[in-house]
Amino acid sequence: MAQLKSFVRPGLIIYLVVISGFLFLPRIVSTFNLILFQYGITFAIVALGFNLLLGYTGLLSFGHGAYFAAGAYGVAMTAKYFPDLFSLEILIPIALLISFLISAIFGFVCVRHTKIFFAILALALSMLLYALLFKFYHLTGGSDGLYVKIPMLFGHTFANMRRPQFLSGFYHYFLVGMFFAAYIVMKCIVNSPFGKALQAIRDNEVRAELIGIRVRRYRLYAFIISGMYSGLGGALWGFVNGHVTPDVSHWIFSGELVYMTLLGGFGVFAGPVVGALIFNFLKLYAMGSTEYWMFIIGATLIIIVLVLPGGVAGGLARLASRIKQPSDKGAA
Amino acid sequence: MTKKEIGRRDFLKKAGAAGVALGSAGIAGGYITPRKVAAQKRAIPKGPIRMAAVSFLTGAAASPFGIPGMNTYQMMAEQYNKQGGILGRKIELLSYDEAGGVDAQVKLSRKLILDDQVDVTLGYISSANCKAVLPLSDELGGLIMAYDCGTHELMEGTTSPYKTPKYSLGFRTKAHLGIDNIGLALYIKKYFPDIKTMGGINQDYAWGRESWLIFETAMKKLMPHVKVVGTWWPPLGTTDFTAHISALMGAKPDIVHSSLWGGDAVTFSKQAQGMGLIERSRMAWSRGEPYPQEVGKEYPEEQIICCAGTHYFLYPPHDKWPLNKYFVEEYRKRYGKYPTYPCYHAYQAIAVYKQAVEKAGALVGGWPTIEEISKAVVGLSIQTPSGHLMIREDHNGIEDVLVGVSKMTPDFPFPILDPQRMEVYPAHMVNAPVGIRTVDWINSWQS
Amino acid sequence: MWPIYILNGLYFAAFIFLISLGLNIILGVMGLLNLAHGSLYAIGAFMAAWTITRLAEGASIFILLPALLTGTALAALFGLFMEYFLIRPMYKRALEYQLLITFGALMLFEDVIKMIWGGEAIYASTPFVLLGRVNILGNPYPAYFLLVMLLALVVGVLIWLFMAKTRIGVMLRAISLDREMATAMGLKINRLGTFSFVLGAALAGFSGALVVPTTPALLGFGMEPLILAFIVVVMGGLGSLKGALIGSLVVGQTRSLGIAFFPEIELAVMFLIAAAILVAKPEGLFGR
Repeated sequence: MAQLKSFVRPGLIIYLVVISGFLFLPRIVSTFNLILFQYGITFAIVALGFNLLLGYTGLLSFGHGAYFAAGAYGVAMTAKYFPDLFSLEILIPIALLISFLISAIFGFVCVRHTKIFFAILALALSMLLYALLFKFYHLTGGSDGLYVKIPMLFGHTFANMRRPQFLSGFYHYFLVGMFFAAYIVMKCIVNSPFGKALQAIRDNEVRAELIGIRVRRYRLYAFIISGMYSGLGGALWGFVNGHVTPDVSHWIFSGELVYMTLLGGFGVFAGPVVGALIFNFLKLYAMGSTEYWMFIIGATLIIIVLVLPGGVAGGLARLASRIKQPSDKGAA
Repeated sequence: MTKKEIGRRDFLKKAGAAGVALGSAGIAGGYITPRKVAAQKRAIPKGPIRMAAVSFLTGAAASPFGIPGMNTYQMMAEQYNKQGGILGRKIELLSYDEAGGVDAQVKLSRKLILDDQVDVTLGYISSANCKAVLPLSDELGGLIMAYDCGTHELMEGTTSPYKTPKYSLGFRTKAHLGIDNIGLALYIKKYFPDIKTMGGINQDYAWGRESWLIFETAMKKLMPHVKVVGTWWPPLGTTDFTAHISALMGAKPDIVHSSLWGGDAVTFSKQAQGMGLIERSRMAWSRGEPYPQEVGKEYPEEQIICCAGTHYFLYPPHDKWPLNKYFVEEYRKRYGKYPTYPCYHAYQAIAVYKQAVEKAGALVGGWPTIEEISKAVVGLSIQTPSGHLMIREDHNGIEDVLVGVSKMTPDFPFPILDPQRMEVYPAHMVNAPVGIRTVDWINSWQS
Repeated sequence: MWPIYILNGLYFAAFIFLISLGLNIILGVMGLLNLAHGSLYAIGAFMAAWTITRLAEGASIFILLPALLTGTALAALFGLFMEYFLIRPMYKRALEYQLLITFGALMLFEDVIKMIWGGEAIYASTPFVLLGRVNILGNPYPAYFLLVMLLALVVGVLIWLFMAKTRIGVMLRAISLDREMATAMGLKINRLGTFSFVLGAALAGFSGALVVPTTPALLGFGMEPLILAFIVVVMGGLGSLKGALIGSLVVGQTRSLGIAFFPEIELAVMFLIAAAILVAKPEGLFGR
């Protein structure tokens, strides 16, 4: 009986529905909306990593755009300087490696601080990367950015394919696969002893130190993992967007990452994913419908902070628990 | 009175007829396969032509640049609609803001092509936006005509000779920045042969970097003794040039080359005048044409100004080229200003689209597909208010170029180009041949 | 040209100092990093530019006075509203909410500026042109820049006197030194917080109004100065007024000399200096 019950867990059903929904999406929605969704998915990967730092470790970074840029530029610069290596199975590890290196260096400096010092420091360091990407015109293309062509895969080229075909064909399934892999890995991380230790640090740094957790080192690990998630998201985003610019390393972009996470709700594991998907549609439709789209985005943010601090997912979870509670009591 | 009789409408009609004639000549030349001609007789769609126009509507580049361009699109779309549209279809002009950076433009273009499914996009002032958006034409299958951006690398390959065209559905309906900077160098050699040193202040992106590259390459060839004392690269949208200006004053070049445009050019001019740079060095503006009118009578005299082509409200002279007279008067009537070069560029883009559609439409007997339109653009030669424009097989336009120096006259409330010292360099002197990179071409000159 | 480079650096330091001073006062007293500070600076600039263009016909240099007044006042007013409606509900909330609400305000204000003054640049160079040039060791130099330095110095001294000598100033310093202790001593933290926020906003607006005759007022005007103010605050130490002064001098001179001698990497050098200071002295030059 118990076995059966665990089999039909509502969570599992939701996952199955979501997975199949994602996979069938190219047949349901228009190419344009599919691409919007793919933007959302790449940001969702970033937000998953970002939440390890914000939601689970209690560190707010206003500079995660830097690691996103590390991934995206890793891909774009490989395309420019090593065209032979322009193959997905090589590019993804390259992006991960570069974002690992940069987040390890920047993280080493940042994790010595917490709270607002940490936030500003992360911001300043991402702006350093921005300045370098912007100023070294001959290397990085400066503010023009770099073009990202369609990659190969194990020697197979997608030549003669227009990008929408590529994106709604093979790449969509690749992206969804990467997303679920990232999702499951992150789920394992937060439920592992390491994840529990991070939460202990978040809740009470002194106590965590006393029970033997090496606070600063754990923070650095969390920082690096979340940086690598950003790098992965950035690399995948590069193919969807087809063009990378230093803007992704600017702190405004980092602010948008924080926005997404909060919009979805950082108290719930899947919250940032929801936030990333919603944010993309919100921003693009606001941009398409009015000249004053920043006003709409800004006002939405303010309203969410004021009345829905748990974000969309947080609000839903609270609603669900409120509905669930009476029925639970009834069963008992 | 006789001038009036040539009347603008007649002139337009003649220009149109010439266009059609040229069109059929092009077809005879075999640009479109004969089989298609025989097989198809297509209907003209009912709805209007959805034409997206992208230009700076906010920010520093809006008032001297983006808005005049957009005004011209509106004026010409109305004009064409009054004449019956294009192949009987009216133009519905959708205007979009170019501000917001490269990434925003990539997203916008994708929306225009995939979601809104516009018939054509005419637009882009910034070279960075052109470089990012033009590849989307082939990637997404949409017709894009760049109207104002100058980057010469847009249509060029990495080695000479390169394969043309780079994008089958992407065009630029004007000449690239080669004409401005080669024109400037030729002009400086003729009128200021004594200069010893030069410096540069150009924006830190494709436009500025490439403008300086071409200018420096041409100067090295034409005046090898001139020394470069320094180059500065403020980012696009800089509001404070004081440190750059001081550095330039410290370096004391005889000539300062600048491709600054839009609000940056106005801001720089004001600050440079305030700090006294203008008295020490002579400015050579690769796209200085709009600013005397924008700044007014305080605009300094004796500045070398290039018109990005022969786009000038006083050239070609109105008695010799009534189309310019018509254009200037019509624009002035509507918007109270003289048209500047972005206006002429906008005219070129919309006129090229119209004539290409008509040429391809006559051939296929109905509304042409974008592939057919783009085939018809190649080799198109049209008359514009500035003279002649030809689109070559590299999908790039070629034009003559006009250079002069500013001079105050009693006739206008701002300095104009001194009529005694205007130079027009014909297209073959300032445009590299098809398939040859501009830098390689300059380096091959026999000095 | 050396004296001119140094003067440029000082001029640059002067208005960055005013911005970062406001940012730092808010940071010290309220523990809040105001990401919308640059927008308040832009609001001051736009208001002043608008005032100047309205009065420009046949005006004298005194046109600057109403411009400075209106610019400062409007920025202060925006600051007051922002504090009352947005910041106050955040007093007890976590850091991420405080930062994000100012981030929301930043986006909001950008479009509010567009709604009020339109999207095009406003040029208001009348005072700059009117003051003309002076001769500094054989080099021409705009007198207006000297005026900016002078006014920034005056404001800096006034703020210092205010913080050192007046009752409110001492209370503000007490809060930034030890918040809990100050609360225990019975200081009205909320009201003083409002005061410091409005003061910071007014300083930003004043700085914008002071600068606008030399540059156009345009959208996104506050972005670059905000970043520079961040660097200043990080270099000088969070909440330290002395740090703001030294930090802005470093930033100003780095920019001026950087553009003169190594223009290719000037911006990166600035961040590298900031990063180097932080690695050596993580709390900033004068941080605690």
